[in-house]
Amino acid sequence: MFTLKSTIMSNKKFNFPLVMLLQLSLLLGSSCNKYLNVVPDNVSTIDDAFTLRNEAEKFLFTCYAYLPHDGDIWYNPGLETADELWVTLASQIHWQSAFRIALGQQNVSNPYFNEWRGTNKGVSGSGNTTSRTIWQGIRNCNIFLENMRDTTKVRDISSVERAQWIGEGLFLKAYFHYYMLRMYGPIPIINENVPVDGDIQSGYLVRKPVDECVDSIAAWLDEAQQLLPPIVSNENKELGRITRPIALAVKAKLLVMAASPLFNGNADFSGLKDKEGNMLFNTTYDPEKWVQAQKAALVAIESAEQANFSLYHYENDRFNLSDTTRTQLSIRNAVTEAFNQEMIWGNSNSYFVNQSACIPPLVGNQNQDRGQFQGFLSPPIKIAKLFYTSHGVPIDEDKVFNFNNYNQLRTADDSEKFYIQSGYTTARLNFDREPRYYADLGFDGAIWYMKDGNLTGSDQNTFHVEARHDQVATSNTFNNWSATGYFIKKLVNWESTTNSSQAPAWKQYPWPEIRLADLYLLFAEAENEVNGGSSLAIQYLDKVRERAGLKGVVESWTKYSNNPIKYTTKEGLRAIIHRERTIELMFEGQRFWDLRRWKEAPEVLNQNITGWNLEGSAPADYYQETYIYGQKFISPRDYFWPIGNYDTRRNPKLVENLGW
Amino acid sequence: MRSNVFKNALFTTLYCTLFSFPAFSEGFLKKGTLVENKTSRLLYTHDLSNNGIFMEYQAPGMPDKKILIKGRVMDSTTNKGLAGVSVEESGTKNGTTTDANGNFSLQADAQGLLAFSSLGYTTQTIKVSDYTADANGIIEIKVLLANSTDHQLEEIVIVGFGTQKKASVVSSITTVSPKDLKGPTSNLTQMFAGRIPGMISFQRSGEPGLDNSQFFIRGLSTFGSGKRDPLILIDGVESSATDLARLQPDDLADFSVLKDASAAAVYGARGANGVLLVNTKVGVAGKTKFFFRAENRLSSNTENFGMTDNITYMCQSNEAAITRNPLGLQPYSQNKIAHTQAGDDPYLYPNNNWVDQLLKKYTLNQAYNLNLSGGTRQFQYYISGTYNIDNGGLNVEPINDFNNNIKLKNYSLRAKVNLQITKTTNLMVNVYGQFDDYNGPVGGGAQAYKNIISSNPVAFPAVYPATLLPYMNHPLFGSAQVQTPDGVATNLYLNPFAELVKGFQVYKNSTIQPQIQLKQDFGFITQGLSFRGMGYLRRYAHYALNRSYSPFYYDALIDPQTHAYQLRALNDGGPNSIDPTGREFLDYVQDGKDINSTFWLEGALSYNRIFSKHEVGGSLISYISDFESGNAGTLIASLPQRNQGVSGRFTYAYDRRYHFEFDFGYNGSERFASNHRYGFFPSFGVGYRISEEKFFKDHVHFVDNLKLRATYGLVGNDQIGSVDERFFYLSNVNLNDGGYGASFGKNTGVAPYSRNGVSISRYQNNNIGWEISKSLNLGLDLTLFHNLDITVDVYRQIRSNILQPKSNIESAAGFSVIPSSNYGKATSQGIDLALDYKRNFNKNFWMTGRATMTFATSKVNLIDEIDYPADLSYLSAENHSISQAWGLIAERLFVDQNEVNNAPVQFSNTNLLGGDIKYKDVNHDGVVNADDMVPIGYPAQPEIIYGFGASLGWGNFDFSFFFQGSARSSFFIDAEAISPFNINGGYQNGLLKVIANDHWSEDNQNLYAFWPRYSGARIESNNVQRSTWWMRNGDFLRLKTVELGYTVSSFKVLKQKISKPRVYVSGQNLGLWSSFKLWDVEMGGNGLGYPIQSVYNLGFEINF
Repeated sequence: MFTLKSTIMSNKKFNFPLVMLLQLSLLLGSSCNKYLNVVPDNVSTIDDAFTLRNEAEKFLFTCYAYLPHDGDIWYNPGLETADELWVTLASQIHWQSAFRIALGQQNVSNPYFNEWRGTNKGVSGSGNTTSRTIWQGIRNCNIFLENMRDTTKVRDISSVERAQWIGEGLFLKAYFHYYMLRMYGPIPIINENVPVDGDIQSGYLVRKPVDECVDSIAAWLDEAQQLLPPIVSNENKELGRITRPIALAVKAKLLVMAASPLFNGNADFSGLKDKEGNMLFNTTYDPEKWVQAQKAALVAIESAEQANFSLYHYENDRFNLSDTTRTQLSIRNAVTEAFNQEMIWGNSNSYFVNQSACIPPLVGNQNQDRGQFQGFLSPPIKIAKLFYTSHGVPIDEDKVFNFNNYNQLRTADDSEKFYIQSGYTTARLNFDREPRYYADLGFDGAIWYMKDGNLTGSDQNTFHVEARHDQVATSNTFNNWSATGYFIKKLVNWESTTNSSQAPAWKQYPWPEIRLADLYLLFAEAENEVNGGSSLAIQYLDKVRERAGLKGVVESWTKYSNNPIKYTTKEGLRAIIHRERTIELMFEGQRFWDLRRWKEAPEVLNQNITGWNLEGSAPADYYQETYIYGQKFISPRDYFWPIGNYDTRRNPKLVENLGW
Repeated sequence: MRSNVFKNALFTTLYCTLFSFPAFSEGFLKKGTLVENKTSRLLYTHDLSNNGIFMEYQAPGMPDKKILIKGRVMDSTTNKGLAGVSVEESGTKNGTTTDANGNFSLQADAQGLLAFSSLGYTTQTIKVSDYTADANGIIEIKVLLANSTDHQLEEIVIVGFGTQKKASVVSSITTVSPKDLKGPTSNLTQMFAGRIPGMISFQRSGEPGLDNSQFFIRGLSTFGSGKRDPLILIDGVESSATDLARLQPDDLADFSVLKDASAAAVYGARGANGVLLVNTKVGVAGKTKFFFRAENRLSSNTENFGMTDNITYMCQSNEAAITRNPLGLQPYSQNKIAHTQAGDDPYLYPNNNWVDQLLKKYTLNQAYNLNLSGGTRQFQYYISGTYNIDNGGLNVEPINDFNNNIKLKNYSLRAKVNLQITKTTNLMVNVYGQFDDYNGPVGGGAQAYKNIISSNPVAFPAVYPATLLPYMNHPLFGSAQVQTPDGVATNLYLNPFAELVKGFQVYKNSTIQPQIQLKQDFGFITQGLSFRGMGYLRRYAHYALNRSYSPFYYDALIDPQTHAYQLRALNDGGPNSIDPTGREFLDYVQDGKDINSTFWLEGALSYNRIFSKHEVGGSLISYISDFESGNAGTLIASLPQRNQGVSGRFTYAYDRRYHFEFDFGYNGSERFASNHRYGFFPSFGVGYRISEEKFFKDHVHFVDNLKLRATYGLVGNDQIGSVDERFFYLSNVNLNDGGYGASFGKNTGVAPYSRNGVSISRYQNNNIGWEISKSLNLGLDLTLFHNLDITVDVYRQIRSNILQPKSNIESAAGFSVIPSSNYGKATSQGIDLALDYKRNFNKNFWMTGRATMTFATSKVNLIDEIDYPADLSYLSAENHSISQAWGLIAERLFVDQNEVNNAPVQFSNTNLLGGDIKYKDVNHDGVVNADDMVPIGYPAQPEIIYGFGASLGWGNFDFSFFFQGSARSSFFIDAEAISPFNINGGYQNGLLKVIANDHWSEDNQNLYAFWPRYSGARIESNNVQRSTWWMRNGDFLRLKTVELGYTVSSFKVLKQKISKPRVYVSGQNLGLWSSFKLWDVEMGGNGLGYPIQSVYNLGFEINF
């Protein structure tokens, strides 16, 4: 080809036209097909991912990469979509898509937090996680499994490791399905990928009945748990990888969910049928589902305990802390200490990144920059009311403490100094509460213990909150402030460095996807459903209460409740378990899902969001419960996400959820 | 001794071949070809009027008898001597050129033939033997050469890879005279609209360097995401629109637009969107000729958007703050308004008119063009150079020692050399260099305009006097913390003045392009056979950088007692400093770089013969091309882009009446899998010249020419999909994608062990192939009364296999990208009409007129879209124009909240009030959302472009004008961008006069006001939805160009004759008629950008 050019240059008289003619004929010929083969052989294809262990490991990690980023409030659909926390309506920048669901703006034409399609999630323009979908994660798991199961591929991996990776792939595939089932109800089961160039009509996916979904996911988890290791062998490189206790715990969560009223014999969804007319919800209640759930929870607990998981307790104190503070640290650190002994599954790919959204500027801290201490995640007053009294019973059941006038002013005395700034006046609601109240919440007058609260690390003379009008955590100039007057202390790591003129250094921690307390409570719930008023259930409840600094259920109710035999009935104990679970897992994104599966959402999520009067300077003005927003939960529509027009119009066999 | 040996060309050829006459002169078909061998000598003549082809026989060995011929060559109409005419003795190397008066003298064979040729004139050949010598043995002759443009039928048209006689062209080709593309602009593309039938063209911006008009041949005909604009070939070199924009009309020789399948078929892979063929001038043998033209242009915005005064701004800003929230905080106190009105202190009570402060009323630009040409018979050259300076209209105060105004300097140099290596071999070497040097404000000129409308005019002064802080070296720019209804934000107001002067941006583009072409006549093999080979290299380089400092901002603190004020630094890096901290020294940012290289090689074998009444022509062309980018970014993108193809054209004409043509392109593209790699694109055409029929000639006298044409054929397009989607048959896998990795392990910080992951951005798809265009063209060429040419073409083009993402891929399939298929189909059809009128009334008075009209519509026939239910069928794009817009139907403004409460919820908005836009719930589902969007308005691209104008010459004066219009297009006002008082970061929008005067308010509850209820500092998103409320008609008619020239008689300066220098004044965009008044309507939705320019020009041109 290129000789022609040189021929032109050679400038010989009569020969070159002939040479040129020859070249022309060459050009016309088919021998030049090679000219268009510009792609070298080494361009990467998907097969290259499965030749060597080193490459295959990246594909395994890719499957992990699709795990939802629960450690970021904008990407955790459970945290901001219910009533667990609120944000100020003054600034639209906080009105991210998840929160718009809480505002009742969910719609079918362009759904918020559209996990199905991977749109309208998170903060606009913040990173590449927005466009990912769980379905893509499932597709990658299937590709991974298909290739890893083929022993002619990845020849340099040991059979033990191959089995473990297959177990991880299976788990992730199951978990992704579980995640979608929880959001959308019945879903298509993607056991094999839709081919790229397949016939579209025959490839349309259909939603499968709930029971079938649960069975498939449970089967994958069963298979996975057999292949997975009981513990990670190399903590420095592998903590966060899936182990057998994690797989069993997810199976327990799956089966408890499947046994719960939303999925077990729910007549509300009898109208949800696929295009062939098959009902997607089984409307017959099946008590056997609770038996299965109870068994699965017990197996999961046994497996976790064998792997040396136990409830976290703060020990080895170097700061001479009071018992009060140590109990609080037991509660806080069970969540915020990375991979603590209770954290069965810490998501190493999603560290909690919103500590600055939890903590306000504090009195005693030399740095009070609102841009760095935003504190705009605001628990409503109804959440504050949920916590027990110091007697371990609900505030409206306590025989001794009267919370009828909960906004009554009261001044803290010295005996309360590890909870409330001594001599500070605040509302009745904030007094005489259980340790979890003070460990989880910050409020006007609350002590906010941080390791750098003073030079010695002591819990005396440390930070406290002042949140009334014109105080440091007030609402006047910036967009970032608490809409309710409450803050989330629970999610702030006590070892974060805040007390310096420089920007705070947040000690981040992997998001706790599953911790042992969650399993105990799941077991208690299932056990009570199988054996109403079971003492075994109470036994597991009491383990959680003991760590929270409370007496057991029997003692607390007998002594302090105006309904002292409540725990003896199935219904009574169920209410206690639900309340315990809500409090223990507060701000961990569980409440949203629990309220739905218990079918308590219509009652709870139609209540108003309220807070203290932020305009008030004097305590009497500030402590007026003020209306913020009237939440609406429309049943049964709001139990599940709308799939959205985009997908229902693309797949004529895909039915939309009821009410959308 | 002479005798006619043959009357048939075929026998002539056979004879010559059999009896081996090896030496041929060029152009075998031309009259006067002389062939000889040792024994005999043949002179070939043909004379169509005499119905025959002659071979004249001469006895061998007859000694050459040379005779001196003296003569004068003159223009047949003006009878003035013609300089530089080539006089050649056919079949020999003997020749000369005429002098300035048209005189020549030459020794030539008494039996020879002399050919007189000159550009723009029909070549004429005479037989020496027809003249008798005078007593001195000298022959004196006079030759009249006819202007070739006066003989349209002999006009040569450039077609793909060659030329054709206009009379025999059957396809739809528009040729434009370079004169018609001359205007007071340094951007050739601005002259297209309305002048080229078959081209839809419009200009959206007037910013130097970004002011190219967009142009589409016969409108948009595909909705694929790939290439939709035409192929541009300048001297056979595939070029960019910017290359075309920089061409000087002075250097243009031919400008053709190939519109239908037959014309474009030979370009196969690349011709589907039409082809622009542009050839620049070549050297002509003769004395060196200089041409020089200089222009000085005054340029100003055609229209500026009108802002209201600042008192109104503040009052209405207060109105806006409380119109939705009666307790809202009013941003401006009565005190501030009163002091501002009184003009008490420009620093304490700033009162900026950003339009006046940032923009100049006009700017001056210069353009120079010089070319020289000449040479000998063996060697001709044409060299031209151009220098254009285009300045922006930004007002730059000398606050820095660098200039921020836009200055685009453009240099180009073109050198073309022709070498006649042998009698039959011609070599041409072209070198072309094109260079742009740009200097302008950071972010570009359009940003400065956008800043004007999005800056608060009263919150701060542009700059405080340096005397206030004499020890500071930097300018004391004004600003303040943004005041939102929530309080004081953490950022500062944007100071458009500071933005403009804080730094400057530089970019430089270079294109270097050597080209070589070789022509070989193969008449010695068989008569009429020739070969042409052409190759070129093209190297393009672009780099950009900017340098800027970070301005220091101050606001004024008033002492309550003394009312004196002092400056407070806002971003000095201190404790309360606001980011970004100021910086006095310049920072440097490397900006985009682009380097690429193109290689092209083509060979063409042509055969053209006339056998009595049969004209036969054919050519076979083969080419290969290669494009590589030096900064591709990815492995896939770095691989060369290649095309390879063979194409051909075969023509046959009988008796100049019946014309047939077959063309094809057979092309390969590296983008497709081997089963789709090659595409075959044939086309056919027929032409019938009724005017050559005897029955017609004898009876219809006022018709000089009438030809009917029809073509039908296929053209392909491989430039489909986006640049990243190159190899459809390969999956694109990133095996080391940091965005898809995961991390594990325990550490004090984040998880320590991480690996990247795998991402797939394309799945393998072997089924993707060419986008195909089938087109039918019916044309009519008519010449009436010798003076009026009418050309009408109607066409229909069906574009199929348009690449589209599959619509019914649901998310649950889990594809990380949606696979595509060749699915879509669209039809475009329309009419191209051109009227040309030319008349010389007398020696001193001539006139030409030209009118064109292009009507191009398109329709989507088949689009891969979801199956909309019957009640939503209006969402379907099928059966609508390719650039149809969908939007809501705005009924009017809401009357009051009661009406809002009883109306469907609009976009989940629960806080609407009276005065907000009320939309129609088209599908009656009780909510207004994206499902209620219906097709509204005309397409964004106009469907009709027309133009008309005339030139008159009277003695030494000439005058011309041209109007251009556009119809059937719609555009949308960007309501968000003009939403008054809206705060977005540091931007806070100003208030357009039209909004201030006509908006819904409590006092003026006009349900059809221009602007709905104010929204205060945040846009009410309901009111900025795309809807009929903001839709406007894009129709306009403008006076595009006017020119008045005066040609001075020739005179001599220092013995050098200056022939006919001409001075002229001209103008561009002098008048505009449109129903839309906010800004220049041609800018459409881009109205807040850099305006289109009105230009007044003074120029002169000289030849010597």
